[in-house]
Amino acid sequence: MATEGNKKIIAVCQSGGEFETNKDGTLSYRGGQAHALDIDDRVKFEDFKVEVAEMFSCYMNSMSVKYLLPGNKKTLITISNDKDLKRMVKFCGDSVTVDVYVVAEEIVALNVSDMLSARFSAACGVDHCLDHVDYSKPNLSCFITDTEIQSEFAHHDLGVARMNNGSFGCCPASVIRAARRWQLRFLRQPDHFYYHELQQGLLESRTVIKHLINAEDVDEITVVDNATTAVAIVLQHTAWAFSEGIYDKGDAVLMLHYAYGAVKKSIKAYVSRTGGHVIEVPFNFPVNSNDEIVSEFRKALGKGKANGRKVRLALIDHVTSMPSVVIPVKDLVKICREEGVEQVLVDAAHGVGCVDVDVQEIGADFCTSSLHKWFFCPPSVAFLHCRKKHLDLHHPIVSHEYGNGLPIESGWVGTRDYSPLLVVPSALDFINRFEGGIQGIKKRNHDNVVEIGKMLAEAWGTNLGCPPDMCASMIMVGLPAGLGIAREKDALKLKTHLRKNFGVEVPIYFKDPEDGEGEGESITGYARISHQVYNKIGDYHKYRDAVSQLVSDGFTCACLPD
Amino acid sequence: MENDHHQHHRHELNGDSTKPHAPKKPRLSLSSSFSSITEFEIRSEFSHHDPSIARINNGSFGCCPRSVTAAQMEWQTRFLAQPDAFYFNELKKGILHSRTIIKDLINADHVDEVSIVDNATTAAAIILQQIAWGFAGGKFRPGDAVLMLHYAYGSVKKSIEAYVTRAGGHVIEVPLPFPVNSEEEIISEFKKALERGKANGRKIRLAVIDHVTSMPCVVIPVKELVKICREEGVEQVFIDAAHGIGCTKVDMKEIGADYYASNLHKWFFCPPSIALLYCRKSPEILDLHHPVVSHEYGNGLAIESAWIGTRDYSPQLVVPSVVEFVNRFEGGIEGIKERNHEQVVKMGEMLANAWGTKLGCPPEMCASMIMIGLPTCLGISCEEDTMNLRTHLREQFGVEVPIYFRAPKNGETVSITGYARISHQVYNKEEDYIKFRNAVKQLVSDGFTCTLLSQ
Repeated sequence: MATEGNKKIIAVCQSGGEFETNKDGTLSYRGGQAHALDIDDRVKFEDFKVEVAEMFSCYMNSMSVKYLLPGNKKTLITISNDKDLKRMVKFCGDSVTVDVYVVAEEIVALNVSDMLSARFSAACGVDHCLDHVDYSKPNLSCFITDTEIQSEFAHHDLGVARMNNGSFGCCPASVIRAARRWQLRFLRQPDHFYYHELQQGLLESRTVIKHLINAEDVDEITVVDNATTAVAIVLQHTAWAFSEGIYDKGDAVLMLHYAYGAVKKSIKAYVSRTGGHVIEVPFNFPVNSNDEIVSEFRKALGKGKANGRKVRLALIDHVTSMPSVVIPVKDLVKICREEGVEQVLVDAAHGVGCVDVDVQEIGADFCTSSLHKWFFCPPSVAFLHCRKKHLDLHHPIVSHEYGNGLPIESGWVGTRDYSPLLVVPSALDFINRFEGGIQGIKKRNHDNVVEIGKMLAEAWGTNLGCPPDMCASMIMVGLPAGLGIAREKDALKLKTHLRKNFGVEVPIYFKDPEDGEGEGESITGYARISHQVYNKIGDYHKYRDAVSQLVSDGFTCACLPD
Repeated sequence: MENDHHQHHRHELNGDSTKPHAPKKPRLSLSSSFSSITEFEIRSEFSHHDPSIARINNGSFGCCPRSVTAAQMEWQTRFLAQPDAFYFNELKKGILHSRTIIKDLINADHVDEVSIVDNATTAAAIILQQIAWGFAGGKFRPGDAVLMLHYAYGSVKKSIEAYVTRAGGHVIEVPLPFPVNSEEEIISEFKKALERGKANGRKIRLAVIDHVTSMPCVVIPVKELVKICREEGVEQVFIDAAHGIGCTKVDMKEIGADYYASNLHKWFFCPPSIALLYCRKSPEILDLHHPVVSHEYGNGLAIESAWIGTRDYSPQLVVPSVVEFVNRFEGGIEGIKERNHEQVVKMGEMLANAWGTKLGCPPEMCASMIMIGLPTCLGISCEEDTMNLRTHLREQFGVEVPIYFRAPKNGETVSITGYARISHQVYNKEEDYIKFRNAVKQLVSDGFTCTLLSQ
């Protein structure tokens, strides 16, 4: 571009990388690509931009061109016109080259971002900036549209009516992309990522969670892989207490009869093994009211404290898995405090995004919730909330961070892919595209799943497993007795049969007639229906019709091979 | 996986040696249409690496080629598309397939002996938690010992503190010389430490031995040390081979340890993260459990580890794709290992000559990493200096290399207090090391010292 005789310089044009501020305040540019271009003080800015746009295949209109002065590496100088370009050549004239940075500006319609900004705060009280928002195109309506939702979940197997969000959750495409960006940053330069990006990213996720659950301090928030890990952390602590004689052999740990299978095993592995006594709280299913649960809980506590035994830990599900019922945790925690239970852990695997999780209101010592089930994070991420006084918990995977506090220990458990833990802010951005944010999503899921549950029960002539106010975004619907679900295995076989032959994905609970009420109880199988934003009424019609057809075909589980 | 190309290289995975030098042109072999991966293809496979950085630190975080990342994304997508079907129909099968391949790679007897976990740190926690239970349950007596190397990895030392010291065990550290001149020096220190450990009739319940120490980096003669452990009545031996598969020789029957842990994302091109935990069949392994307890508890460690709650298991499922990648190279993984070793020794000697320093150990005690002394005038006088210098090299010179502080011992006068650990992996080029050579030369000629950085 330079012509003979004029003051010349080589512009090293760089794009696609990132700026970083060094300790002394100077800027460094890392990564991206570079192209060299010789220019002189007569070159027109428009011509310069044309060349650069061609080099980097970007749009001239969204391009911003900057450089650093030789003596000042802290301040980027913008070039906007011919005069600016001429000045650059003059100021940098003694050098052979000048570093020029080409930055593509984001295209975000101002009024949209203002509106959404207001809604973010209203929806969940979070003081959150738009840094992580990823718009592929400006959206003129405020909220995510149906088409956009379908597009976000286009990777779901379309041949399956997916009514089991409760088991494995879901993750929209935009959040998956955010996770992949994090993964790529690590793969690109892992040392730099480890030293400069990971801890900050984890702190941002923890901060979002703190706001979501109304915790007092971000120090109380630890991110882990899943609720199973969180439970192992707490129970290993209990095991040490028994082993070290802080707890007496025979002291009790209390759990619900319907506690999750993995949790029951964890209690066996850590509590029974070290001499703790385990008490199960039974309650009837189908259940009719919170009072039934509360009354059983009191009875079990009474048993636990018999003979002066101390109850060291109560493990309470916020929403049981199978059968699925919302437990009145706030009331139960209160009772625990009144009855001298030392610590309470609320297992809210189905927590954030399914029920309201306000840790100050619930009042437990520990609370864990998955974020990949109902909070649109990729597999897998969860948090463990611990009240400040419980500082001596440790992550069982011990790294060099041992002793620096659980949140820091969990922030490095050896080389791993930490991207699911880092996209919590991106998941929140996705959620805030919905009317009412997470509250709106929860309410609509609940209303829909109740309506659907009633529709199915009516169509099949069965009943629900609990009143609507004891459901969140899942509901238990009785399956026709004629299907002959006579044991656990039948439930699994029937589920597989429905998946293979009807394209319907729903977990089935086997309700043992001996467990519950007496005669006249003919319903032995309950389907657990979930509703999430990607579901459509057609999914549930498909299920309704599949079951109706099985009934009319005279199908029973006995027909199915083992 | 039954195509000719794969069969042709199966024997090479297990250790038969091949030609020392990779020919520059692709070579047609007689029995198949195999031709080596080209330079261009290698560059393309690692084109996601930051091009402005001389990445000579494969040892810390490893690397993963694009074709394997692509395979990983396919697995991830399959789970996301229909997770229930994936869980019931694909996951267990996929993990068993990976475990079977690994079993062959390491010459283990039975796939039951092979568990897949997240990383070596997790493997160590599994073994050490078992030791803690031994103390808690009265099987071990307070004061029974666990032995480790002084140069054991930081996380492993903490794990021993968290599980052994806390449970009442006594910890013995084996001091090792560095720089080191021969395997005999290590063996002799090990024997001495064992004797000290067994003093007063103390029982040594577990010896934790690195196959390749991290910092400073030296290949430990594990086969000999395991033999000594057996002779001296050490109950169990755990080899921490974080740098294992793809770096050193990994033959379970030859090494003869009870437990062997190796990362696969460091030197075996898997994505972060996946590691192998080998447990030789014995009554004791029934006692091993994954600390994250799921409904699979009690079904054996391999099954427990294959389901620790909802997770992204894709790094554990891509092992077959990695084998395909590795077999595109002349000599497969053995060829890669040999060439990495040759190159890293060559580069190490080049740097030591250029700087007037020396290597930290003889070439035969290195694998694909080597320690090179840094010029004394750089003034590395403490741990903090090594971190600052490393950052300085990264930010000002675009060189990524970890640095070890070699503190002078009592009464010692040493001139070299800092050693750089360089790695060589298939994506490295000579210019990476020249960049490092020149950076250090410039620092020296600029009169740079580390005190400038700590201001």
